Amino acid sequence: MNSLFDAKHTWLHSINPSLKLVTILSLFIVAINIHFLDLMIGFLFVILLLFIFATGYSYKQLFMLSLPFVLIFLSTSSSMILFGKGETILYKWAYIQVSEESLIRGIHLGFRALSFAMLGLLFALTTKPVKLFYSLMQQFKLSPKFAYSFMAAIRLIPIMIEEYQMIINAQRVRGLEQRNNFLIRMKRLAIPLLSQSIRRAYRIAVSMEAKRFQSDSKRTYYYKVGFSRNDLFFISYFLLMLGLIYILSIHDPFLPSTDVRYLPE
Amino acid sequence: MQRGLKLTDILITIVISIAFGILYKIWGPLYYAVKPFGLHIDQLIYGMWFMAATVAFLIIRKPGVALLAEIAASSGEFLMGSEFGLEVLLYGIIQGLFAELILFAFRYKRVDLFVISLAALSSCAGSLIMDFYKGYIGDLSTWNLTLFIVFRVISSILFTGVFAVSIVKALEATGVTNLVRASSKKDHEALDQ
Repeated sequence: MNSLFDAKHTWLHSINPSLKLVTILSLFIVAINIHFLDLMIGFLFVILLLFIFATGYSYKQLFMLSLPFVLIFLSTSSSMILFGKGETILYKWAYIQVSEESLIRGIHLGFRALSFAMLGLLFALTTKPVKLFYSLMQQFKLSPKFAYSFMAAIRLIPIMIEEYQMIINAQRVRGLEQRNNFLIRMKRLAIPLLSQSIRRAYRIAVSMEAKRFQSDSKRTYYYKVGFSRNDLFFISYFLLMLGLIYILSIHDPFLPSTDVRYLPE
Repeated sequence: MQRGLKLTDILITIVISIAFGILYKIWGPLYYAVKPFGLHIDQLIYGMWFMAATVAFLIIRKPGVALLAEIAASSGEFLMGSEFGLEVLLYGIIQGLFAELILFAFRYKRVDLFVISLAALSSCAGSLIMDFYKGYIGDLSTWNLTLFIVFRVISSILFTGVFAVSIVKALEATGVTNLVRASSKKDHEALDQ
């Protein structure tokens, strides 16, 4: 992903990838335990700040990357808004029932999905997969046979996409494109793609085994991935900012703060 | 025979999963196109997301393959910058773990449609647990929630069960699965007697 665009190298790029991954997964746990809309908006804001100002990508690139966010928001919130439980009915038509509670809950879910999407993109945009797997081997003692398999497989993605195009074109030439249903078409794509991938993976694995890539004995690494002062700054940023929005939302809520979950009285 | 996964098994599992990742990305627009109506028609193709686990297991048939496949498929999606963000990674881990549990319960010996469909249902249950916490689906009105779950169950069995088995049957016909299975399977049969 990050090879698609040129980006300035920012402090986010230099953070230890394992630490970044653990932090982001912890933020996921924090976010699914936020049940107040105020706090959710604050959480989104904390991530948005980093997303806009710290990834090193131009605003144009960030805007392009943010386009699917509209769809994410709509698709996540709509079913809860239209069909959620709630008492204060705002609008009712046939099976559709929009209540104040379900509206707030739907918006809450939309913002939650947005914050996850942004966190994920933040990670993908500022982390090189190779550095991530080196770091996982060095910091988390991930077995090299897993790490190198992942790295080899990631390298195959462009080849597989090219092959997919070739299969599509070959089938188009033979007029197989529009006929039949979704499942048959998918099967017709999946089988050549999978069988070629398995053959290629087998050949690569044989040569990697020949070069002792699977041995788990002590090995040396070309890249050494360590820690820096930026790591401390990264963690402090989230601790401080999240603490701040938590205190603010308790003392000075700018929205009626009620639990968005449905709690029958 | 060496216990556990060899590098060949691992690499093939991961490559299969990433091929699925590409297929997911291609059919993604379809998922989006049907999603915003709120009637959960999207759930009818949701089972696709568990397929990597059962297809990889049907090809390699070793402990840990289903879990690894789901982790690889989801981390591939995550690293490519998926629109769904990091939740795919956690969903992947849970779904793979739940499929793995069923396969473990049958000692990795049975590979028929029944067991594979059970694994599919288990993955489906895992994803629903995540949705209860993350998506508050328990707060949907009852008819809507029922629709949601029924659609997802149907698609799990259809894609992860029936469709996965039929894809692997077709792959077996091409002979490519012999690359990974031939010697070890014969060895097992020799040992069983």
